[in-house]
Amino acid sequence: MVTEDKRSWGMVIDTDKCNGCSGCVTACQVENNIPLNDQNKFERGRVMSWIRIERYWEGEFPDVKARFIPILCQHCANAPCEPVCPVYATYHNDEGLNIQVYNRCVGTRYCANGCPYIVRFFNYWEPAWPEDLRNHLNPDVTIRSRGIMEKCSFCIQRIKRGSRKAKEENRELQDGEIKPACQEACSTNAIVFGDLNDPNSEVSKLSKSESDRKYTLMPQLNTDPNVVYLATIDPLKYKDLGEKAKSNEH
Amino acid sequence: MEIIILRKTIEYIKKLDSTTPLWVKVLVPLIGVGGLTTLAIISILLAGLMNAWLGQPLPVLGFEQTFDQPINFPHTKHAGPIEDGGLGMDCTYCHRTVAKASSAHIPAVELCASCHRAVGSYESEDLTQLRVNSGIYEDKENNQVIVDSEMASPINWRRVHRLPDHVRFVHSAHINYLSNNPSAIENVPDHINIEGLDAVPASQVCSTCHGDVANMEKVYQVEPLKMGQCVNCHRKNGGPTDCAACHH
Repeated sequence: MVTEDKRSWGMVIDTDKCNGCSGCVTACQVENNIPLNDQNKFERGRVMSWIRIERYWEGEFPDVKARFIPILCQHCANAPCEPVCPVYATYHNDEGLNIQVYNRCVGTRYCANGCPYIVRFFNYWEPAWPEDLRNHLNPDVTIRSRGIMEKCSFCIQRIKRGSRKAKEENRELQDGEIKPACQEACSTNAIVFGDLNDPNSEVSKLSKSESDRKYTLMPQLNTDPNVVYLATIDPLKYKDLGEKAKSNEH
Repeated sequence: MEIIILRKTIEYIKKLDSTTPLWVKVLVPLIGVGGLTTLAIISILLAGLMNAWLGQPLPVLGFEQTFDQPINFPHTKHAGPIEDGGLGMDCTYCHRTVAKASSAHIPAVELCASCHRAVGSYESEDLTQLRVNSGIYEDKENNQVIVDSEMASPINWRRVHRLPDHVRFVHSAHINYLSNNPSAIENVPDHINIEGLDAVPASQVCSTCHGDVANMEKVYQVEPLKMGQCVNCHRKNGGPTDCAACHH
């Protein structure tokens, strides 16, 4: 049960702002010590990226449009990955995060099979980096060894660092103070991260708005995700509006 | 135990006569020897497991002794109390980031050299090595001071306290908590009195995990530093016991 004073971390992704630049993917890769994906991994379908951009084509040529949806761990309140773990390596903590405990994981891969969003990744190999990149690894993140599962943690190392800093300075955590790597890297500010239990935070304003653009991935599964998407604005829907505005100008 | 098994086996073999079938004659000595080997293997395994479980080298056969550092650094001389011939330096003078960052940094050679270019014996091998590592040193034969940045190099200290790779320990959070809650400090050395204080300086809380380093000629690990110890202390003092607090 989440008490009132507890936080519930959540994210809002505005797909209308997303231009598919993949900055978030790269930032995540660097921040979280994710091994590089080479050709071998792509060929075998064992690519690891905690956040990925799915691309859809809409319409027929020449009126074709690309749509992008960044997909990461949804940190579901009813997570299908959690009850299947035999060693309790994945669980929900009291800040609304779906936690993966690497040292508990024994690599059964049940959770990855249970996840409808395919955002859990299994380490089929011992991670390796080129010699030049060895000193670029993030010391705040565990390097996952072969045989264990990993996934987006909402950059928990940044959450911990931010909360610790606020505690040391004896103040409340400000909204927007903690930014995951993907949000920091997003060139169009499509990603907003914050506390869903704080009614004044930007993320809860966006996710609790009455907007018809708001949706979650696979709502029929009742996973209750903490990641909320805002749908792309259809330009055709507002076509008349634009023409009206033009005629008003003249 | 092994001797009893061996004796019993020998006795049994002696009792055997020509009426005994051949397979008993072969099998019984084999089982005797096998039993001995198994016992030996099990006892070695048990000793290893005990050693691993305790998390510290057992104080037998000299296992508990710590290793030599590339340059002998006596904490007794630097941080030891003045009455005992030390300088009584504050821990945070060298380990400067301990109250501000997650790791307590080992000081750069420059910091050592800032004193030791002038202070300390010029005969000592360790100090000569330190001065060479700092890049400014004295050439005794030609009686001149050499400034050679090519020679400047960090000292390859050997790490004594090591946590597993999947643990994130943050020094600053612990130091700040303990210095504001001195009642939670453990292993307080005799020469420090923190009774009834509301707050103590950062350098007086280290003993909780590291023991009385100021009185160690060579630093060795005092506490097991295993998860049980962490969790016990967190439960006692209301720290987080969520897995993700340390494992992420």
